[in-house]
Formats: sequence, C-alpha cells, structure tokens
Amino acid sequence: MLAHQMAMESPFIQAEAIEAIEFYDLAMRYNVSGVPQTTINDGAGLILGAVPEEYFLQELKRAI
Amino acid sequence: MMLNQELTNQIKELFATQLIYPIMVLYFFRKNGCDTCDETSQLLDEITSLSDKLQITKYDLDENPAVAQKYNVQLTPGLVVAAGRTGELTDYGIRFAGIPSGYELGSLIHSIIMVSKRDSGLNPDVRDQLRDLKKPVQLQVFVTPT
Repeated sequence: MLAHQMAMESPFIQAEAIEAIEFYDLAMRYNVSGVPQTTINDGAGLILGAVPEEYFLQELKRAI
Repeated sequence: MMLNQELTNQIKELFATQLIYPIMVLYFFRKNGCDTCDETSQLLDEITSLSDKLQITKYDLDENPAVAQKYNVQLTPGLVVAAGRTGELTDYGIRFAGIPSGYELGSLIHSIIMVSKRDSGLNPDVRDQLRDLKKPVQLQVFVTPT
C-alpha cells in the first residue's frame, strides 16, 4: 500500500494499516465512511480512496 | 490452517522469487479482550514459515510495554514489518493493526516483499520530495478485508 511505500522511503513517516471493522470506535472517531481512508497526523489531513502517489504526497505535505 | 493449500503455494513461490534480505515480524497481542489475536498469531506463524528469510517475535503488549512504546504499537493484534534479524533490526515504520486477512493479507505480503527488497517502488520524483521531508508524519490507513 502507498502509505507503507512512503514510510519505507522516509524515516520521518510511520504508516499503520488499521482494520476499520475491528477497530470500529477508532474508525468512527475519524469519520471513516469508505476505505481506504488515510488520516494524517491525527486528523490534520485526510486522503479519501486510493489515489496516485503524487497526489498522496501533496496532501501529506499540505497537512504538516 | 488459516491459509488454504493453493494460497500457501502461491505465497511460498512469491517469497522464493522476491525476498532478498531477512525480515522480522514483530507481533503484539493481548491475552484478554483481543478477539482476533489467536487467529492472527496462527496466520503469521503460517506466513513466516513459508521462507527462511522470515522470522517472527511475539510480544504480550501488557507484559512488554517498553517494546510496544518503542515501536509505537497500541492496538492488538498489531504487527511491525522490520528488516534484519534480532539485535540489528531496522524499523521502516510499517505497521498493521487487526487481522491481516482478505485484501489485507495481500497488503502484508507486498509490504514484506518491499521491505525485504529495501525498495519502496515509488517514482523518482516522489522519492526526491520525500527526502526533503523533515517533520514526523503519522499515517493511519483505514482498510477492510473486502
């Protein structure tokens, strides 16, 4: 998955794949409505769906 | 058996051709209040038995809070895909929370291969931009097995 690829490339990035049904409360906390949904730095940014890597990176940079 | 024979053979073949450097899976569980920990443990045993480049270390999260904190693992079942062997691990920040079944099993296999190859597979331009990143970033990717 793209988030893991980003983590692999940068020592500053940690990426966790979270099973949304198993961790329902956490998914609700971040208003997860579809998957994949990526939360950046505890809600500072949000990426909905599977997106190209350039777009993912821009959203990541915008959030930090 | 968590994996059927066909899937076992497929993964074994993939590992035989794709894995390069050794991988350590750090698995965190809880004895109580973790519905999928036993299944995940068994699944990871089966996966890591498919190549001699794969090892697994299991931690009871409640009994090993320092290890859990070091790897920033709070959820169980939780796992870290790290590179290397015991005593010389490199953590690339790759985590899974919840049982990696269905679609997530594919993600886990791919992440293991990626770390074993030491290659993110990202575009050169994206790699360049990531090199300039100097702030900590925490990504939480919500997924489902289907």
